[in-house]
Amino acid sequence: MEHTFTNFLSALRGAEIRVSVAETLDAMKTAALMGWSDRQGLHDALAMALAKTPDEKAGFTRIFDEFFAFESFHDRREARILDESRQSEDGDLLAMLRADDRAGLVLAMQEAAIEVGVENIRFFTQRGLYTQRVLQQMGVEGVDSQIQAMGGQGGSAGQALRESRAWLFEQVRNYVEHQLSLQGAATSRELREDRLRRSRLGNLDRRDREQMRRIVEKICRRLVTLHSRRRKMKNRGQLDIRRTMRRNYGHDGVLFELEWKKRKLDRPRVMAICDVSGSVASVARFLLQFLYELHELLRDIRSFAFSGHLIEVSEYFKENIADMAAEKVMQKVGYMPTDYGESFTNFYENFLADIDRNTTIIILGDARSNNTNPKAGYLKQMHERCKRLIWLNPEPPPLWGTGDSEMRRYRPYCDLLHECNTLNHLERVVNDLLETAQKAA
Amino acid sequence: MRVSLCLPRAAKAHHSTNYAPFATVTYTRATHAAVLHDLAWLYRPKAAGNIRCSLFPGQGMTPERLEKLESIERVREGYAELGYICSRQIATAIYVAGHLGKPILVEGPAGVGKTELANTTAAYLELPLIRLQCYEGLDEAKALYEWRYAKQLLYTQILRDKLGEVLGEAQGLKESMDRLHAHADVFFSERFLAPRPLLKALREPSGAVLLIDEVDKSDHEFEAFLLEILSEFQVSIPELGTIKAMRRPVVFLTSNNTREMSDALKRRCLHLYVPFPDAPLEREIIQARIPEIPRNLKYQLVSFVQQVRGLDLKKQPSVSESIDWARVLLLLHANELDPDMVRQTLNVFLKFEEDIQSVDVELYGFARQAKKADVAHA
Repeated sequence: MEHTFTNFLSALRGAEIRVSVAETLDAMKTAALMGWSDRQGLHDALAMALAKTPDEKAGFTRIFDEFFAFESFHDRREARILDESRQSEDGDLLAMLRADDRAGLVLAMQEAAIEVGVENIRFFTQRGLYTQRVLQQMGVEGVDSQIQAMGGQGGSAGQALRESRAWLFEQVRNYVEHQLSLQGAATSRELREDRLRRSRLGNLDRRDREQMRRIVEKICRRLVTLHSRRRKMKNRGQLDIRRTMRRNYGHDGVLFELEWKKRKLDRPRVMAICDVSGSVASVARFLLQFLYELHELLRDIRSFAFSGHLIEVSEYFKENIADMAAEKVMQKVGYMPTDYGESFTNFYENFLADIDRNTTIIILGDARSNNTNPKAGYLKQMHERCKRLIWLNPEPPPLWGTGDSEMRRYRPYCDLLHECNTLNHLERVVNDLLETAQKAA
Repeated sequence: MRVSLCLPRAAKAHHSTNYAPFATVTYTRATHAAVLHDLAWLYRPKAAGNIRCSLFPGQGMTPERLEKLESIERVREGYAELGYICSRQIATAIYVAGHLGKPILVEGPAGVGKTELANTTAAYLELPLIRLQCYEGLDEAKALYEWRYAKQLLYTQILRDKLGEVLGEAQGLKESMDRLHAHADVFFSERFLAPRPLLKALREPSGAVLLIDEVDKSDHEFEAFLLEILSEFQVSIPELGTIKAMRRPVVFLTSNNTREMSDALKRRCLHLYVPFPDAPLEREIIQARIPEIPRNLKYQLVSFVQQVRGLDLKKQPSVSESIDWARVLLLLHANELDPDMVRQTLNVFLKFEEDIQSVDVELYGFARQAKKADVAHA
């Protein structure tokens, strides 16, 4: 049973359910307590011990059903062995095939599979290899040479043998494929995710969008757990006299307990300004999604979009799911020739008063302004009012300042200027934003 | 019979070298298999038949209480007698937790009976219920114990003369110290300890049901502080040392998911998710709570509430709210759902103006559907 259990746990891990060693122990105890006969009861109890969020519970149920589908076959086989007297004793493959002892064959197959280590299969290209190995382990060569020796003859016995051999091949292949779907899912998904994280956001296929969203969610969840602790930093050595006195009233004014001055670290307040003209729209979409997923951490976030002129789009994101919102924003301000000067003027006139010394401004854009007046003075004023101004440019650094790019003019007013065109870049920037915000406060 | 939980040497070695919480790197399949093997050895059946009682002594439960938790069915029936209708999952959780001595983290939307589950468990096992309501800023002093400095100070003042007597004829500092020591740590005894819920639960001689309510509202620091209690059932008090539970309490933690609990906490608990009940279960619950409710009304009301939950609302009506609604309708002598009456009483189970409006639009359709459901069951 323990082999099955190990495989089950590794299949769970493959489905992104995190199982710790302590939980493994609990699961073992739970299984021993519940017994293996009551399938639904066992499922409920193990789900309690192993899967700890609604998402994980759904994944658990899927894996449980899939995994123990094959194992239940196991039980039937055992029952049959007990029933049937024609079980071949030495487990010789040829004899079993001749006797058409299917139960015995399946048992032999599972033993061979354990011997070969089928659970190590990771990629679909390995299917053939593992199928062959399992067959070899079972000693299929002897059978093949026997079939060959008989040639076309052998009458109905030969025909039956060939059929049994084909049936066996099907079974083994089926079993190997099943193992692949359980054990290999994680590896191929990781590969795919890794590729998506590193590929340019502008070059993504439409079919990858769904998965990208899941990755963004995952990254955000990690950032939230990383930064959600709002630490209270002590100003060591500085006595807070007022609070000390208040605290010690109860002790007749005798100062038993001292209070030190503390400062709470604040969460950053963010204003994101995104260029949504065709060339950078796809990156902007992910940045906005990123920031909105982080709403737990970011106390106050407002977003603005522009191409020809600038508008505030925070409301769209609050009311709609990310994809719809991006669509709406594009309808409002997209598909216009980019004009950075005009857009900064808009921002300056309408929203400058909202910038305070806690605000971080993030601008996402390629600074290609179609040779209009860049009006860098406005950016300078924004820079002076805010705490930090971060510019994320989807173009690689050598292209900055070439052609109609105004990056060089804007550059002096950016506290931080980053190339940003993959998910990995985005993650690094947001992480940086959260971290420095905490340190600086 | 009690099995001491110490792993054989081989397993210990694995733990010390390769242990990592969610090891995907160092904790290999081979080590895993080894640990499992050792466990299987540890929990090998002594004799067929009585595995259940011999393996898990119930961690501090008295035999009578264990008998009450003898099977899942028995738990269900027992709870039903007390007016709490639990689904199979809930009963399984109680059963497993009772035998393994593990805390249960109960999650689910507000008003599905998470707190009530702890209340009923206390009543069923005839244990005192000790409740700790969590909130932001809750700290040790309010949850565990408080040291009464003022009382200590007062006693020292009052007993000054007595101290003089004790030290009366002592010669020199050393002898005085020795004499003082002879009187033990009178000023650092439990007399000056004001126990708060957690400590109370640990010191309850017959065990207790400890309910840590809305643990998601507490701070991260407090969550970390709970870990020792949840895994070892003991607390460390700097002035006194470590206090162990007299008998393991049955612990429930409830959470409304306003924030994710940490993995460390989840790892120490069984996780029970309680969703909104389906129609038959909700009918049973209402029947148990309000036995005098007419059958028609019960069917229609449950069907209506279930339909409302299908809408996209700010706050879904909870079970407790549908019970309230049933009470109100009963007060108004309703035998059936009448659309006008529903409209007037919507605010019993919907708490936002927008929600009331969006249900109001669908009201007639829902009422008709509810009638149909009733007829179908009749």
